[in-house]
Amino acid sequence: MTPFELEEPVLLGAALALLDPEDSSVRAIAGGTALMLMMKSGLYRPRRLVSLRKLAPALDGVRSAPDGGIEIGAMVRLSDLRRSAVVRAAAPVIAETLLTHSNVRVRNVATIGGNLAQGDPHMDLPPVLIALGASVRLAGPGGERIVRVEDLLTGYLETVIANNELITAVIVPPQTGWRTAYAKVTARSADDWPALGLAVSVRVEAGIARDARIAIGAATETAMRLPGTEALLAGRAIDDALLQEAGRAAAAEAPVVADHHGSASYKRVLVAVHLGRALRQTIAGAER
Amino acid sequence: MTAPRTIHFTLNGAAVAATVMPHQSLVELLRERFDLFGARESCGQGLCGCCTVLVDGRAVSSCLYLAAFVDGAGVTTVEHLAADGDLDPVQEAFIETGAFQCGFCTPGFVLMTKQLLDEIPDPSDDDIRHYLSGNLCRCGAYPEIVAAVKLAARRQRGA
Repeated sequence: MTPFELEEPVLLGAALALLDPEDSSVRAIAGGTALMLMMKSGLYRPRRLVSLRKLAPALDGVRSAPDGGIEIGAMVRLSDLRRSAVVRAAAPVIAETLLTHSNVRVRNVATIGGNLAQGDPHMDLPPVLIALGASVRLAGPGGERIVRVEDLLTGYLETVIANNELITAVIVPPQTGWRTAYAKVTARSADDWPALGLAVSVRVEAGIARDARIAIGAATETAMRLPGTEALLAGRAIDDALLQEAGRAAAAEAPVVADHHGSASYKRVLVAVHLGRALRQTIAGAER
Repeated sequence: MTAPRTIHFTLNGAAVAATVMPHQSLVELLRERFDLFGARESCGQGLCGCCTVLVDGRAVSSCLYLAAFVDGAGVTTVEHLAADGDLDPVQEAFIETGAFQCGFCTPGFVLMTKQLLDEIPDPSDDDIRHYLSGNLCRCGAYPEIVAAVKLAARRQRGA
């Protein structure tokens, strides 16, 4: 790794002031598992890193919101998120997803804020949080703004977070009536980076899909929703024919790209197959 | 600043200070400054587990951990497990079941098993595979490793 400055502010305002709106080589570092990989490979050579370690007490914890949703501090580590009783009650899909997310050591260090700020399309949580309708709180010098996760991620390792903004929390709205499932498809071990991540959230009434949110990751440049497939499902009676139709529609709609986990044509087949399976899983949950 | 800084932390039970560079990793610090060679950098990407150490009781990949971040923390390496001259029950179980061939990955497996048994004293096969899925043994001693974890768990529970 090349040398850099390391600052460890204890207050959010000081952290924001240490970031540089004009210099993208100045970044915040939380757990650092993803940034360390980029620095060791020489892909990222920071001038300065602003550690959020000493802000952790203010940005920690998972709280129930009055509306039935939850708010997750940006510095909550993934292993704590997986164990959180509040998360398991409000959005169990998050805890289930984390079971095969990287490994125990990485989850002991990596944070949810860092996971989203990295903008890596191969992360498991972004599509899950998009399907849950989640947002982030972004703190900047001018105050706070709230951005939906689906609007946060704009491209490969790219987000709308300004150079002098920080994620302080993740907001998951109440999930009453919704069921969510995540299909992680790996080409090697179960906890590998996914070849495809598909998160499906549906609101089912009497066998009819009233509403659906479908988010894809790993097979595309960035995690994103598939609005055409969502619209196809809305208001339709759910049967095998519809699930197959939706799978084909998603495979056609998603701008799938190849990587070393699989070719684009292979990943389109994965989308067609696993969308139906994920939908079946959510519907089975809804009718239980 | 890019300048070196002094950090203070607890290393294997003793209070220590060290001068580190901001871009130095924890595994570099342990090997170069403290002559602790149990943690070794192998894949360099947090995938193989050979650089596993415990920071405040939790296993981390010391190749992906900035040395500066252990300021104020407690760090335990494999060397500490037998500091009193007696092997840890996990180490004994690995030896008794023959849970290694070359031994390069063993410190990482042993420390990961320590966190597993701290959190789940009576782990199922699934628990063991889940906790150890991030540790790679290229000699392929996995069946013996799983057996070693079970043996250590039984002994620690006094069963």
